[in-house]
Amino acid sequence: MSGGPLIVQSDKTLLLEIDHPDAQACRMAIAPFAELERSPEHVHTYRLTPLGLWNARAAGHDAEGVVDSLIKYSRYPVPHGLLVDVAETMDRYGRLQLANDPVHGLVLRALDRVVLIEVAKSKKLAGMLGAKLDDDTIAVHPSERGRLKQALLKLGWPAEDLAGYVDGEAHPIELAESGSDGGRPWTLRSYQREAVEAFWAGGSGVVVLPCGAGKTLVGAAAMAEAKATTLILVTNTVAGRQWKRELIARTSLTEEEIGEYSGERKEIRPVTIATYQVLTSRRGGAFTHLDLFGARDWGLVVYDEVHLLPAPIFRFTADLQARRRLGLTATLVREDGREGDVFSLIGPKRYDAPWKDIEQQGWIAPAECTEVRVTLTDAERLAYATAEAEERYRMAATARTKLPVVRALVERHPQEQVLVIGGFLDQLHQLGEYLDAPIVQGSTTNKERERLFDAFRSGEIRTLVISKVGNFSIDLPEAAVAIQVSGTFGSRQEEAQRLGRVLRPKADGRQAHFYTVVSRDTIDTEYAAHRQRFLAEQGYAYTIVDADDVLGPKLPTVD
Amino acid sequence: MTTSLADHLRALPDESLAALLQLRPDLVVPVPADVSALALRAQSRVSVARALDGLDQFTLQILDAARLTRGPDGATSTDQILATATAGPHPPAPTAVRAAVDRLRARFLLYGPEHDLTVVGGVDEVSPYPAGLGRPAAELDTRAAALCADPAKLRRALLAAPPSARAVLDRLAAGPPVGTVAPGALEAPATGGEDVLPPDLVNGGAPTGSPIRWLVEHHLLVRMSGGPHGTVELPREVGLVLRRDTGPLGPLRTSPPEVSAPPRETKAVDSAGAGQTMEVVRHTEALLEALVVEPAPVLRSGGVGVRDLRRLARVLGLDEPTTALIFEVAYAAGLTGELELTGAATTRYGGDQQIAPTGGYEVWRAASLAQRWEQLARAWLAMTRQVGLVGQRDDRDRPISVLSPEAERAGAPAARRAVLAVLADLPAATAPTPDEVLALLEWRAPRRARGRETAHRDVLAEAARLGVTGLGALTSYGRLLLAELADADERGDDPLGLRSDAESGDPSTAVRALDGLLPAPVDHVLVQADLSVVVPGPPDPALAAELDVVAEHESAGGASVHRVTTASIRRALDAGYTADDLHALFRRRSRTPVPQGLTYLVDDVARKHGGLRVGSAGGYVRSDDEALLTEVQADRRLESLAFRRLAPTVLVTPYQVNRMLLALRDAGYAPVPEDATGATVLSRPKNRRAPARTPLTGRAVDPLATPRLPMPRLLGVVEQIRRGEAAARAARRAPAVVRGGPAVTGPTAVPGHGDALAVLQQAVRDKARVWVGYVDAHGATASRLVRPVSIGAGYLRAEDDRTEMLHTFALHRITAAVLEE
Repeated sequence: MSGGPLIVQSDKTLLLEIDHPDAQACRMAIAPFAELERSPEHVHTYRLTPLGLWNARAAGHDAEGVVDSLIKYSRYPVPHGLLVDVAETMDRYGRLQLANDPVHGLVLRALDRVVLIEVAKSKKLAGMLGAKLDDDTIAVHPSERGRLKQALLKLGWPAEDLAGYVDGEAHPIELAESGSDGGRPWTLRSYQREAVEAFWAGGSGVVVLPCGAGKTLVGAAAMAEAKATTLILVTNTVAGRQWKRELIARTSLTEEEIGEYSGERKEIRPVTIATYQVLTSRRGGAFTHLDLFGARDWGLVVYDEVHLLPAPIFRFTADLQARRRLGLTATLVREDGREGDVFSLIGPKRYDAPWKDIEQQGWIAPAECTEVRVTLTDAERLAYATAEAEERYRMAATARTKLPVVRALVERHPQEQVLVIGGFLDQLHQLGEYLDAPIVQGSTTNKERERLFDAFRSGEIRTLVISKVGNFSIDLPEAAVAIQVSGTFGSRQEEAQRLGRVLRPKADGRQAHFYTVVSRDTIDTEYAAHRQRFLAEQGYAYTIVDADDVLGPKLPTVD
Repeated sequence: MTTSLADHLRALPDESLAALLQLRPDLVVPVPADVSALALRAQSRVSVARALDGLDQFTLQILDAARLTRGPDGATSTDQILATATAGPHPPAPTAVRAAVDRLRARFLLYGPEHDLTVVGGVDEVSPYPAGLGRPAAELDTRAAALCADPAKLRRALLAAPPSARAVLDRLAAGPPVGTVAPGALEAPATGGEDVLPPDLVNGGAPTGSPIRWLVEHHLLVRMSGGPHGTVELPREVGLVLRRDTGPLGPLRTSPPEVSAPPRETKAVDSAGAGQTMEVVRHTEALLEALVVEPAPVLRSGGVGVRDLRRLARVLGLDEPTTALIFEVAYAAGLTGELELTGAATTRYGGDQQIAPTGGYEVWRAASLAQRWEQLARAWLAMTRQVGLVGQRDDRDRPISVLSPEAERAGAPAARRAVLAVLADLPAATAPTPDEVLALLEWRAPRRARGRETAHRDVLAEAARLGVTGLGALTSYGRLLLAELADADERGDDPLGLRSDAESGDPSTAVRALDGLLPAPVDHVLVQADLSVVVPGPPDPALAAELDVVAEHESAGGASVHRVTTASIRRALDAGYTADDLHALFRRRSRTPVPQGLTYLVDDVARKHGGLRVGSAGGYVRSDDEALLTEVQADRRLESLAFRRLAPTVLVTPYQVNRMLLALRDAGYAPVPEDATGATVLSRPKNRRAPARTPLTGRAVDPLATPRLPMPRLLGVVEQIRRGEAAARAARRAPAVVRGGPAVTGPTAVPGHGDALAVLQQAVRDKARVWVGYVDAHGATASRLVRPVSIGAGYLRAEDDRTEMLHTFALHRITAAVLEE
């Protein structure tokens, strides 16, 4: 028995005991092929998936090495069957190759003829493969490159994509690290640098970083690496402006080089920022803004918040396989379970770092998560008990009893900028009145929105009530407290995004606070537990307190 | 010859005879009566075959050499054998040959002094072609013998052979020397058909026809008379010439083939194997637990159906072959057995037996991991089952199911021991490929290995699955287990060694070795904020039992992961834990601080637990007057009702409502009963009544009056009668000819008329009855059954039997007449 930090489970999960002295080395060894699934405080869970193993193969790791590191760090004997399975899975990668043939263009080439015969017969590939050029080669139409890769992955014979990428239209982009525009000199953080390198080496893929860890900069650095025209897809206009500001400040790009393609403006410039919404808007059943993808010879496509990528964009992306694609997200948890499509169409996960690690390095603010449990009044309980099933969550989440608790929480942090986040408009209006704070919601105009955000940023407004529109990509540097009163049922990624609102590092290294107010003994509590699962797995421990402790002065304790 | 062997044996000292019997133990079952009987048996086909089975390839080849060098008197010598064996281009060391000869002599397959060795008779029966060479040409065919007698001519004939014929020769020369010939291949092409044959360009243009025919015609092959299709044999001399390059015995290998695989680290091998043993034990336990929940029914044809195997495979998360193996091993280890079903329980398909865990399972479960594995491994080594057959189809194309008699193979334990012995004889941690193992087996005992390649491959796969091997090499504890079994075989009294272990109670060396590799059980957990509980190793039984109650199982293997959920806490509370117990349990077992979330969850669930109470009662008493209820409860006369106060206004009793009512009324209270909806049940006294009956008063009928039938009914009766009549008439219908039809109308009726007259005249003579068809005065056709009396003056007079009337028919109107059948 080696007494290592790793325990290999027969369901292909790896448990890493992080207090073990070898834990760090072990993490380095297994990170290339195992997916980090959960990282609570003591034992991190990794999983061996075919995708992960194939990624490792693509990155040049061989089965022998994987098996060796498993055996080396494992505390207990590793079942022989699992090792065989790992070797066999990894062996499936690269039997087929997508390559550029000087004569026939894109071809599917087999190193193992039997595999090619097997996949060529598959109904799932019908229509994707062209003429058979010889026993080992089949022509593929370039437009089918994405769909073919997707289908081959599903068949379990992932193809190695050697066809490369087009360079796109060159455009000079540099990182302005010296602070040329009058800003302070800065450098890319180590993990950002690693993320960009991992992405560039892999060609395409997804970078997963916590909110506030500077994903925009990873995008900027990738653009500086590509030095080509870039299409950036973002969730909404405000987020787009944010990208623009950041790009102007941190790169050599000027305002004239960056175009905005949204509902309001339709500019196509060397760097164009488009919203998902405008791309997926339809007129008469047809997508009217699809031309954007072909408008220029883009060298790089950046997908912001890739976990929100709408289904039509996936379809368009299948046609963009020859261009480099960078996905950015804080959580690759998709509530619709389409992670597999993100992997095969945009690319595999190229970089991932546990939130707590980055927090320890000081790049994101340490946050304290607190769940405040409110006891409903009898009248509210009665109303809840008799409500229809579909009304119940709304009833519980919007209970009036929460209002004084929210106020008490706001008053607890008199010096801080506070965001109150909710999902139900009625409740937000109540809160707005109760706290005497402005509200940002879907119907708020972009102009008004930016005015409010600016005022909030400058400290003019201390408390801001925002609806779901504020969930994503708004940058509020000094928000140190977030109070969540209601949400979209049990959405895990929403919870993570909301926590992200307060994780941007504070100037003086203060702690951030994240409160979530839930009604006790109702479905609200259950949803809250589900929502917290992701963050708990990222190592955030929620403390649960009673509303009474928040409202009243602390009761004297008797020892 | 027999006598000489017997004489030879008689002359042996006792020790040598005993040594022979030790080498060929089958000679003493049953004990032969005397030495001649022993000698007879030693030369019998069966015994010789058994002796040959145990010999390696090289020794068998040397035996072949001895057979080839026999002189006309049937004797040979060591020198001759040596000369033949070393005739090839890679001659083996003479010592190796001598050693092989000694082995053969020790077994008395060769006997006699070195210069006068005799091969026992049975050998030729067992393998007719020594070294894969045919009989000498002299025994086959005179013309072939003539050819072979002239080496130069023979060589020329061989050189002249067309390439296709040469290929045939090479095949036969490598052995066996006999080939079957397709029908017609030996026939000469039909006369004039020579031109049809394609010209043989390689051999100078002349068409040659079938290569076999060419060879036979040139006496290189001899056609054998017997056999349905005809066979050909290659004469020994031709074979020897063809074997110029390899030597007369073919390629010789004095030592077993080399294993090319690089040796692995012993530690890695043991570790992989030990990991697999944990898996196997865990899967076995999971399988048995699944069988506890739902036993598998035994099919009528024996075995367990594929549906149940699939179900179990799903439960275990394994593929079906592995599940089948674990199932079979668990059965062989006595962990499961047939459970007889009685009576109505046999509603499911199949027989009335189920496979369910036995009492032995309890014992097994209590043992340590290594001991549990050992029991499984020993069962596997000893079981006469070839599990690899499960899922395949038998001779009648029916699938072979788990535990079915079709997968029974008596040779399975021997195959396992043979394969593992090959692995055990290699240096430690050598991982040969399956092909190399098969090659080794082929060399060690070619006669035994032939035809068992699949079985041997199965053994290798099973050994890997059971953790006997790791990374393809035999594990150290597996080696020890085999050594123990071998020791037990030596001792002979207890072939499986089970008894000695069970009695002594000491774990075997294999168990101790495996124990050292397996993780020690742990008694603590790591509790995390996401409410997962990690046991960093195999849990000790007490901890496992606790976790089973308080947490859901999530992932298993070297460690196990559980998750505490609302439901699992509720289950624990239901099982009798209190919130404090749970807090204490987590505090005691957790090596890390218990997260606040968990504490909160336990408290939360405990607070709500039992918020509703459910029970049953026979009846209740309720009243808005609390004082009255207090009085009722305190009333000593009502003590027998055992009232319990559920609420200030409700009392319940386990007794029935009526009894309570009476008791309350007796005690002077005025209770009113309620029904299930809360409405008062009124108890006005009721008179008992019999069920209602129809009075007779309305039916004043004159019993003497005849019943009058109404008109419609009468008409109905009449119609019924008429219908009966018509039916009776139909039964007496006239034959078709008489009834009229196309034959009677028109000009063609004339012959019918003439016939009719003849029939009638005959009938008059015979006084027979006749069906007469005629046309009446209105032109309608009719028929009548009559007895003709006379014919005259154009009229027929005939008598109708039924009416006893005399009818007169005008002859010209009669269309037909037929005698009554």
